[in-house]
Amino acid sequence: MNNFYCVMTFHSTYHALNFEKVLKDLNYEVRLMPVPRQVSSSCGTAAEFPCEKKEEILKICLSNQIEMDNTYKIESQSKSNWFVKLINGKKE
Amino acid sequence: MFSSKGKIIATGGIIGILSALLVKFGNPVNMGVCVACFFRDIAGSLGLHRAAVVQYIRPEISGFILGAFLIAKVKGEFKPRGGSSPMIRFVLGFFLMIGALVFLGCPLRMILRLANGDLNAITGILGYTAGIWVGIQFLKKGFTLGKSTINANATGYTMPVFAVIILLLLIAAPTFIIFSESGPGSMAAPIVLALGAGLVIGAILQRTRLCTAGGFRDVILIKDFHYMYGLIGIFAFALIGNVIFNFEAINIGFVGQPIAHNNHLWNFLGMTLTGITAVLLGGCPLRQTILAGEGDGDAAITILGLITGAAFAHNFGLAASPAGVTTNGKIAVIIGIVIAIAIGYSVVTAVKRKTDKINKEGEVEVGI
Repeated sequence: MNNFYCVMTFHSTYHALNFEKVLKDLNYEVRLMPVPRQVSSSCGTAAEFPCEKKEEILKICLSNQIEMDNTYKIESQSKSNWFVKLINGKKE
Repeated sequence: MFSSKGKIIATGGIIGILSALLVKFGNPVNMGVCVACFFRDIAGSLGLHRAAVVQYIRPEISGFILGAFLIAKVKGEFKPRGGSSPMIRFVLGFFLMIGALVFLGCPLRMILRLANGDLNAITGILGYTAGIWVGIQFLKKGFTLGKSTINANATGYTMPVFAVIILLLLIAAPTFIIFSESGPGSMAAPIVLALGAGLVIGAILQRTRLCTAGGFRDVILIKDFHYMYGLIGIFAFALIGNVIFNFEAINIGFVGQPIAHNNHLWNFLGMTLTGITAVLLGGCPLRQTILAGEGDGDAAITILGLITGAAFAHNFGLAASPAGVTTNGKIAVIIGIVIAIAIGYSVVTAVKRKTDKINKEGEVEVGI
């Protein structure tokens, strides 16, 4: 059905774990996963979250001191230009 | 998700088959690829230690670095970076190597040993898992080596240049480079084959990011099996490769295994040390080598730690041998575990102090 999903990356595993805990407690559907290859050549931990709830989730991160790195929208199938940066954050 | 699963298993499969082939063409048994052993051999060949049986410039290592470097360049992922706790990385790399040389192999060789029937590898896997579990406890408490920053190109090119230089030294073979005349260091696949296999493995690992530490870590920490499938791929295809190419060398059991000992306690604890340090470093020696190829100066420092650790391991009689584990080696593993845990606590304490300070001052630090 969905041919895209959203992920958030973090500065450390601790914040990823904290993100999962805080959001699960608030009944958001989030899931930890390895950072998608399209996003980075690093092999850390990222979290999948419902794209439509991005704004509220970002607010929750801010108020819970969860240090996020960036968010990405990943298109599953299309071959070229298959991810779109949602937030214009720091570019590596 | 299926395609990604297939891809990671295939990645492991290529590594497994190439490892079996490298043994067929001359590498020591169960040492088709062993990143710790290979850095140890290089340290010996450069004269950093004088263990006469383990001195050779392994072209596979140059291959890993240059394979990762070239593909990263092509794909625009070569990024010179560094500055993420280099001193801690050096020390962790140093002790990772001590643990690996007491077990006699890096985590990759552990899998390859199992694929050839060496059941001591099971003890190693249990120890490695235990070590990774310990490391994860620190991750959960906030352990991080900090973010790296963009560096000058010189940082990123250091390891690729090193890879070319040692390759030239291997080919030119000047008198100050030492090559073993007997023992594992004298057994090697032809240079072109070893380099070619290294390049292929380096390139596919840069693309897929497969890592032994990451495989176990993600299963325990986030119940994700992506990298674990890759490790299973290595095992399965190394097993198939060994049945096809090295059938006469397969030997199922604990005793009389090639370049191994069957002291269970120290096989376990050696890999425990390797597991803790690998998780704190964010990757096993193989992964560090790939990262160094794509410009990561922190991974390069880790490799210098590995090489230094290997040199000390032989100079101080810490490394095990088929004859068993030395007393010095046992002491070094205990010291290593204590130091790794102390580093873990030190970093967690520093992170906590920083967080408390931010909370107190009421400012929120968000990295966007």
